Amino acid sequence: MTLRSLARLGASLAFALSAAAAFAHAQLEKAVPAVGGTVSSPSEIRLEFSEGVEPRFTGVALTSASGAAIPVGKSATAPGDNKILITKIGKPLPPGVYTVNWHAVSVDTHHTQGSFNFTVAP
Amino acid sequence: MSSLHRRVGAGALAAVGAALWFTPAYPHAVCGSRIFPATLGIDDPGVDDELALPTLTYLPSNSGGSQEFDAEFSWSKTITPNTAIVVSDGATWQHPGGYGWEPLNTELQWGNFCWPEHEAMATVGFAVGWAGAGTGTQAQPFNTYQPVIDVGKGFGDLPTSMNLLRPVALTGELSETVPGQAWTSGNQNPTFLNWGFSVQYSLPYYNANVGEISNDFFKHLIPLTEFTFSKPVYNFAPGSNVTTGTIQPGVVYITGTYQVAVEAIIPLNGASGHGVGVVAQLDLYLDDLLPDSIGKPIFNPFGGK
Repeated sequence: MTLRSLARLGASLAFALSAAAAFAHAQLEKAVPAVGGTVSSPSEIRLEFSEGVEPRFTGVALTSASGAAIPVGKSATAPGDNKILITKIGKPLPPGVYTVNWHAVSVDTHHTQGSFNFTVAP
Repeated sequence: MSSLHRRVGAGALAAVGAALWFTPAYPHAVCGSRIFPATLGIDDPGVDDELALPTLTYLPSNSGGSQEFDAEFSWSKTITPNTAIVVSDGATWQHPGGYGWEPLNTELQWGNFCWPEHEAMATVGFAVGWAGAGTGTQAQPFNTYQPVIDVGKGFGDLPTSMNLLRPVALTGELSETVPGQAWTSGNQNPTFLNWGFSVQYSLPYYNANVGEISNDFFKHLIPLTEFTFSKPVYNFAPGSNVTTGTIQPGVVYITGTYQVAVEAIIPLNGASGHGVGVVAQLDLYLDDLLPDSIGKPIFNPFGGK
């Protein structure tokens, strides 16, 4: 096989795959409160993933710096956009550092997880 | 999920001076919060459905003193969620030396052993380089057999007081290449011990777990450096048991469905080559691109990924 043939094969394959429906591991692209950010007491946690997620198998836990669990509501995707997961926070947060632990299952069933901190300013 | 593809440059093959102990390796792997990208010098520690096409390598002067260009592919197909067959091959052009089609390389992999809380992962494999499948400068009259182990460890489990170190990950590989016959045309065919490791700093991990990166390009980059080594350990000619290797600094641009990687190839010593080469690869994540057809395991009784 010549180099030119290999290049043609690669280009054809790339074209064919680009036309296919693509799903993937849902990676966290952006969060509100921002990853590592400082905010006033938020009323919700908004996570934007790289792929659509399945809310029945996707969730968020919130803990304080002491490790105490903060009550949060059931996570749900934003209307019309299953890449965005919204979780209501059950009570105002006093100043301090908080940890968000999330786990997600993308619509093609890949599992991912992660955690990050944010700070509530006085 | 990946092919180890080492050229046994012993015996008759050593005579053409084409031996290069470089390991095109491929797929990505996910364990906990960590994505181990496909790396080019050693394999990553997971099993998955992927297609690396093409992997292009340029060496200004290989271990035999020839200019070399390689164009290769590797296809990893899962049989079950934790086992895969990897098929790799490709063409080599050398000047002086000429053209050759490399021996077909297949590898059976078993693994995806994952400890998600600690982002620790391992996979084992057994590769065969098939005699008679190569042509020209790459013709090989005997099979080679290679047991392999690949491991990876992300440092996301460090305390948040060490946040800047949490995107760091290490991967490593250890293998032995055993020739199927001890002598060819009066020359010894050595057994080689191969090892290597990579040091990675994942900006996607940083963006998701440490601090937001606003630039959409940079938050998909994983800078890394790979180190590969090989040494004859058995049945080698007197004075030929020299350790060869490469240092490969580079970067991976990773998305949800593919990655592009580019690395420099710096020879460890004169026996490894001369001058700085380069290797680049497009790797398609078939499990993400085609999750309902060729991107899923053939047998998956429990579903899920």
